[in-house]
Amino acid sequence: MNKKLLSKLLVSALLVTSLAGCGGTTTNTANASAEGSSASQTGEKTVVTMWIMPNSGTPDEDFMEILKPFLEANPDIEVQPTVLDWGSAWTKLTTAATSGEGPDITQLGTTQIAAIAAMGALEELTPIYDRFGGADAFYEATLPTTKILGAGDEMYAAPWFIDTRALFYRKDVCEAAGVNPETDFETWDSFKEALTKMKDVEIDGKKITPLGMPGKNDWNVIHNFAPWIWGTGGEFIAEDNTTCVINSDEAVKGVQFYTELATEGLLSMAGLEKNSAEIEATFNEGEFGTMFSGAYEIATLRREKPELAEKVGTAPFPAGPEGRYAFFGGSGLSVFKTSKNKEAAYKVIEYLMTPEAQVAYQEKCGNLPTVKAAYETEFVANEEMRKAFKEQADFGKAYPSVAGWGPSETILQKGLSNVWDNVMGVFGAYDPAKTKEILDQTASECTVIYNEQ
Amino acid sequence: MSKVAKGLNKKGTVKKSLLSQIKKNKLAYGLIAPALIAMFVVHLVPIVSGIWMSFLKLNQFTLKKFLRAPFIGLQNYWTVLFDPTSTIRSGFIDALRNTAIFSVICSFLVIGIGLLLAILLNRKFRFQGLARTLLMTPWVVPSFVVGLLWGFMWQQDGVINKLLVDIFHFLPEGPYWLTGPKVLIAIIIPTIWRTVPFVMLMLLAGLQQIPVDYYEAAEIDGANSWQQFRSITLPLLRSVLSIQILNGIINYIYSFNIVAMMFGHGAGFPGKYGDLLMTNINRNSFQIWQFGPGAAATVIVMICVLGLVALWYKVFQDDLVVND
Repeated sequence: MNKKLLSKLLVSALLVTSLAGCGGTTTNTANASAEGSSASQTGEKTVVTMWIMPNSGTPDEDFMEILKPFLEANPDIEVQPTVLDWGSAWTKLTTAATSGEGPDITQLGTTQIAAIAAMGALEELTPIYDRFGGADAFYEATLPTTKILGAGDEMYAAPWFIDTRALFYRKDVCEAAGVNPETDFETWDSFKEALTKMKDVEIDGKKITPLGMPGKNDWNVIHNFAPWIWGTGGEFIAEDNTTCVINSDEAVKGVQFYTELATEGLLSMAGLEKNSAEIEATFNEGEFGTMFSGAYEIATLRREKPELAEKVGTAPFPAGPEGRYAFFGGSGLSVFKTSKNKEAAYKVIEYLMTPEAQVAYQEKCGNLPTVKAAYETEFVANEEMRKAFKEQADFGKAYPSVAGWGPSETILQKGLSNVWDNVMGVFGAYDPAKTKEILDQTASECTVIYNEQ
Repeated sequence: MSKVAKGLNKKGTVKKSLLSQIKKNKLAYGLIAPALIAMFVVHLVPIVSGIWMSFLKLNQFTLKKFLRAPFIGLQNYWTVLFDPTSTIRSGFIDALRNTAIFSVICSFLVIGIGLLLAILLNRKFRFQGLARTLLMTPWVVPSFVVGLLWGFMWQQDGVINKLLVDIFHFLPEGPYWLTGPKVLIAIIIPTIWRTVPFVMLMLLAGLQQIPVDYYEAAEIDGANSWQQFRSITLPLLRSVLSIQILNGIINYIYSFNIVAMMFGHGAGFPGKYGDLLMTNINRNSFQIWQFGPGAAATVIVMICVLGLVALWYKVFQDDLVVND
């Protein structure tokens, strides 16, 4: 009898606690939403929720610090940032877009904006661009990424920051090799010549590899190929916005020029198995003569290897035979259609687009501001190495902003990895024709994705 | 599945109506009810919706409708198996082959090494506790950390090549372990390293249940250690071994973490020779947004695994009966 009673008690205790658990959450959310809706009416604080990515070392703290002047000027607004991880962000964003349970503002990678906008989840921001000083206030190459290519001029995001890769070179290596960094990094051919001169250079008894780049196992595979594809007149997508043309003769020529740097011993083969962070670390150890990297590398170099930093210079991406292009990525800020605090959200974005806030934030994150006025400040004057990045802003180019771009990135990544495999001898000796064959397959797979609806 | 149920019925008690059984064992059913409900929610619902998804045209444009996306019958299955232009088809056969090789090699080596270590550890020797603890450590390392660490070590200028080339001089030049067919070695070794401890522990528990008298009697009869192993150890370990084999088959076919982490923390493509079914399906479903074909591929894999489980059951049927 006692046993039975005890077990009955246990079971009911279990049930009660589990039910109480459910009850707790519902009341909490009920309270929260009640607060949210009453806030605007009673003059209490409006809470703006926001998703950001790990843009800096301590993402939420750094972000809140930037917001301080804004929050002081707007005591009725409170901002609650949540930091997402880039890896899981895709899933979270699509879930938010489909379920409608998203934050008020979200940071989106430039390649994600069109896809999420095409799902009908983002508020059109064109009408409020006046509050940022109009579209002209931004670098032109940042604007196409805020629209859906071929679907009108509506803008669904405000460009927040630019991620672009320029050349980092070792001044001492250049000197030893007889390379003039002022002129020799101007075109692809002179760049290749310079790398060839660096091939036999030794610094402190250490043999230098002329160029270090991540190959396959990285998030940046396509970014690193893009300027080489554009520089020979190639494109990713044809003008019909549905056909992938990464296998065009022009594009293949660019891909071959870049990858053959490895077969000619100018680009570190061992580096091709590494990711960006590992390549940067290897450069900071003094193994490479040059590498292409983002502006964030400047801060890392200054912090971790101040002595080496003195010997490092930067140059804009060299000009290809058919034009000079640099990859332009980065992030924008968007407002979810389901947001209940749109006006407050606009205010937050408006503040983040001011030159002061942009410079202050990028001092922490190490990327580049999107508004032109930010470059007139001491941001560039204070740091010698940022000059090349500023110059490069004039010939930046972003990916075609079609809805299928995000999903197709994985296919491009797979194809370009296979191109590296070809260079590394996985399919037998390196065969330039095999590169074309791989890109044909990649293009046909991507075209399937771009035609999907 | 039905075979399993039938098999159990053979041994089971006289059938009574479910309701009267529940009434009689109210308490027991009450206690398992929360677990049953949880299992239903986290297993059955996703499986059924996954199978349903495999019949839908589910991509980024129809994702919003989710389970109400347009019904397209068996087209996703055709895409996975036969459509030469589909993104999933081009790598599916490679992934299937790699997974098969990977699973077979891992199964044999893990059971072999695990058994050997278990037998060694079953003897009394000095520092036995220490050896046991040390051998268990790989199991404590989360699998994604294993992938991360080994991915780092396998690099061409990594620690493994340093050992092979500079220190032991086994090879004249460090190979590229993460590129080409050698990738398979690079993913098999860490998987074995991570799985052996658990199998060893289970087998050790099995070994300790075998009465010492059997071996003493065999020794008196003049049986050598190989004969003792074949006639006593192996038959009495069969039930433990069979469970470990099943566990292994399922684990290896559904391997994901180590491979995904080893190639650019989920960013990279393991290549023609390293891509497994799960990395392939994950990439197609969640990165290329081919949810329909992804679900179809998962169902195909699930059916294959069910077939393997049925085969396994046929082979080990008798070992699963508890002697009472």
